Amino acid sequence: MIYNTGIIFSWISFSLLIILFFNKKNLYTEILVRVNLFIQVLLFCLLEVGLFLNDFSLSYIANFSAKSTPPLYKFASLWGSLDGSILLWNLCLSLFMYFYLKFYKDPSSNIDVKIFTLIMIFFVGYTVFSSSPFAGCIELATVGCSSSTILPFADLVTSNIGRGPNPLLQNHPLMAIHPPMLYIGYVGMTMPFVAATSRLYSKKEDSNSWIEVAEKTTYIPWLFLTIGITLGAAWSYEVLGWGGYWAWDPVENVSFIPWLLATAFLHSSKIQKTQNTLLNWNYILVGLMFLSTIFGTFITRSGVLISVHAFSNGNIGTYLLFGMLLFGLIFIVIGSRNIEYFSKSKKIDNWFGKSGFFVYNNIFLFSSALVVFIGTIFPLIYETLYSRQITVGRAYYDILVGPLLLILLGLMIFSVKLSIRNLNIRKWLNEYIILLNTALIVTIFSLFLLNNSYSLIITVSFSFILIFITVNNLYKNFRVPKGNSSYWTGQIAHLGIGIFALGIILNVSQSYSTEKELSSFEEFNFNNETYFVYDAIEESLPEKNVIKLPISDTEHTKYTSLNIFKNSSQQAISSPAVFRSIINDIYITVKFIDEDSYKLIVRNNYGVLIMWIGLLITSLSFLPRLRKNEV
Amino acid sequence: MKSRYITFALIIIILLMPLLFPSSESRLETWSKALLCPVCQGETIYDSPSEYADDMRSILEKQIDDGLTDSEINEFWVNRYGERIITNPITNNLEILLLPLSIVLIFISIFIRKLYVKK
Repeated sequence: MIYNTGIIFSWISFSLLIILFFNKKNLYTEILVRVNLFIQVLLFCLLEVGLFLNDFSLSYIANFSAKSTPPLYKFASLWGSLDGSILLWNLCLSLFMYFYLKFYKDPSSNIDVKIFTLIMIFFVGYTVFSSSPFAGCIELATVGCSSSTILPFADLVTSNIGRGPNPLLQNHPLMAIHPPMLYIGYVGMTMPFVAATSRLYSKKEDSNSWIEVAEKTTYIPWLFLTIGITLGAAWSYEVLGWGGYWAWDPVENVSFIPWLLATAFLHSSKIQKTQNTLLNWNYILVGLMFLSTIFGTFITRSGVLISVHAFSNGNIGTYLLFGMLLFGLIFIVIGSRNIEYFSKSKKIDNWFGKSGFFVYNNIFLFSSALVVFIGTIFPLIYETLYSRQITVGRAYYDILVGPLLLILLGLMIFSVKLSIRNLNIRKWLNEYIILLNTALIVTIFSLFLLNNSYSLIITVSFSFILIFITVNNLYKNFRVPKGNSSYWTGQIAHLGIGIFALGIILNVSQSYSTEKELSSFEEFNFNNETYFVYDAIEESLPEKNVIKLPISDTEHTKYTSLNIFKNSSQQAISSPAVFRSIINDIYITVKFIDEDSYKLIVRNNYGVLIMWIGLLITSLSFLPRLRKNEV
Repeated sequence: MKSRYITFALIIIILLMPLLFPSSESRLETWSKALLCPVCQGETIYDSPSEYADDMRSILEKQIDDGLTDSEINEFWVNRYGERIITNPITNNLEILLLPLSIVLIFISIFIRKLYVKK
């Protein structure tokens, strides 16, 4: 039932999109976009219903959900693997299409709907022709389903348990929020691409209307991408029990690249709006933002790289490469038709004025994106050239991206007050000298408490100066209606990044760990605090066995646990007991349990809460935009 | 005006801090952060709680106690597991630094020269 309905509705959706592509009447466009959204919502709900009814005649449900899966993770199983996540992708895309039509449509031409529809056809086409989450199971494996069909009305076979989701995906509620947030951010990058290409295609190049729409439509996905990446880092920290939050894993990298590019674009678009410069560069950025999302999906879903996230392989690789070529070509053709317009781009006048600083910002953000990109694909290139495998790990990124981001942090200090004319450093010093000195004194005092290194002192000084100057500015001027909401969006985002930088450098430079071997009812000392270990409690849930070990400090009792999932032969997942404070977390994971002796890893992680607070503030940067109803 | 001298003095003090209070990362820490755990997905043996990583760490500890040089340790692990094991590609492959750096430099020079400097 769900199988037939799902496949038929995917087909209907595909055909409607084809009609939409060739349609010329505005009324039909309005109707078709809404109908398309409705069908995508329907398909989403249909698969959810299937998941909750345990309809194991669907190959996807048999393979990625199980009877014993708890409801929340059943819900999240929809995007737990490739085919289902494309369904979520399509839902986001149709939502954005509706949103775009309603708020940002070019009233004089239909080309933006056409480009948007083409992108949508591409992704819906995948579920129709290649691999659908509604595919019916025609051959059973020992557990789950081994062979499936995407044609309707076939005779299906049903298994009765289901394989269940990847254990990593059913261990923490954040898993239900993190992927959709990222998807909204990722898919949203389609909007600026459509805005730029369509408006330049119809060649009304006298105005900068495309940049305004592109800027507005970039901010929303940027925000969701920020939230999505933050939640992913938090999930990694809370669930994986390795004490970290970011591993420069390929999948993390490909979510970071569009973020860097979008951040660059959010800055450079401002310069184009006010000074009519960087026209060509902005166009390139918009294109790369969109293409990098498809590239990211390609890297992570085609199985070319090994990663914690690469849990699903399919034949989507070539399909996505084809898509990248197609959309890249559209982008280049439309760009080359507008060479004349781009050549009108003004040159930069003042290299130490507003435009100069924004150019530096773009250079460093883009370089960071490039470095991350090269690091991500380098193992592939290397293997092709030398047929040997290498790993590009943290050291590469620390050496190359670290300094670039540090320079950006330094540049942010000047963002409080930039004028079009060149910065007068003497005047600047006169204005901020008291704040500057206070920040430096605070830095010195905090350095006495820390393990010093040059990367630490520079980051801490920059962060404190940035935080002091920005807070002072917010306190003094925020209430004055300056009529420039995007300025305040930037200031709040910068403040958040300043706090975040402080947290991350503390974490990287100060954290340490040790191992303890203990028996039940023993205590140990760590970081001037006594911890007491109780006896382990065993718990058997339908989907997993949990061994919980209560540990208490003087005030709280927390549990660290080993989760052994019944559907997986992988090693047990160790969840941490975290005793939090602003400055540092005591993060305890159990390594193994032998009768009543335990081996614990005890970490002292600095700055984690500061990082989350910083990123939260950055995520709240949308607030000033609400003030003037300027979304 | 005087406050500017204060700023200058403060900056000097901050720059001296790492020399006065040096940090200490043990060789074991540095090396365990550089070695990949072959049975885990993309984790170093410093991060991984697996027993395999444990065994590797104890071998590493012994090597460092025995006073092996960095290149000897490197050779041992690379011979055993291949270049993949070293997460810091810079020690083995300098081209990985040169490639991005040169691209970034080329990019910056094009960006500034051709597009935005007034003739």
